[in-house]
Amino acid sequence: MHPLRHPRNALIVGLLFVVIAAIYWVAPHLGDGFVDVAGTTLLGALGIAMGLMAYVLIAGSPRE
Amino acid sequence: MTAESHALTTTAEHSAVAGLAHDSRGGISNPVLGMILFLASEVMFFAGLFAAYFNVRSLAPEWPPTQPQDFTHVLNIFPLVGPATVLLVLSSFTCQFAVWAIRRGDRTAFIRNIAVTVILGATFLVMQLTDYTLLFNEGLTLDSGTFGSTYYTLTGFHGAHVLAGVIMLSVVLYRGLAGQFSARHHDAVEATSLYWHFVDIVWIALFSTLYLLPGSHGGA
Repeated sequence: MHPLRHPRNALIVGLLFVVIAAIYWVAPHLGDGFVDVAGTTLLGALGIAMGLMAYVLIAGSPRE
Repeated sequence: MTAESHALTTTAEHSAVAGLAHDSRGGISNPVLGMILFLASEVMFFAGLFAAYFNVRSLAPEWPPTQPQDFTHVLNIFPLVGPATVLLVLSSFTCQFAVWAIRRGDRTAFIRNIAVTVILGATFLVMQLTDYTLLFNEGLTLDSGTFGSTYYTLTGFHGAHVLAGVIMLSVVLYRGLAGQFSARHHDAVEATSLYWHFVDIVWIALFSTLYLLPGSHGGA
């Protein structure tokens, strides 16, 4: 199995969106912007959903 | 094939190879694949509800609102919501014990643990309905401003998912009693347990958000 196809990498895909959510939440605090809690929530949850989808793609494929 | 003959067949199939989420060809089994995809969509469904709640809450002058009616008491975790939460968390453990039991071919332990899970899930629903009844009598309805509507929408949709989970677990229990699961063939058990764990995790997030997150007074 190619190292990139390890199911563990699904976690990285999910974390990518969680990091984007964190940046989206922190950035307005640095300036004087509006903190969009709804957008942050959706981005964070998107990380979980994308992680699950990546897991399906990686782990669901035949191993040969 | 009768349940008895099927049970005999599946007993012969007992193997040390646990029927995990992956089948022998290396791919993921169809029921588990379908459940994970479904759960991914469910994550976004609940994310929408949570996002609406956080948005409403962040824009409210105080939370929970005290005008025109004080709903602070709604967020008391005793005597119903706290114990119900403990029961639901316990049910996730018993569900997983059932999965481990059927993976090693122990049908007695499997059926016992699934039955306990069904009972715990049903008890949670009864406690939630009791809580709803008390809140209705105290004046908290869907029309009670943004607090009432978000509270009932979040907990109501979760309750509907618990009801669906209890029905799924009951089907698994019925099939288990009919001898349809073995150490090698129990994809439905694995898929149902994934769903039940998801429902439990959502409730923990919901409980923490609704009941444990400190309220705000005199400004957002």
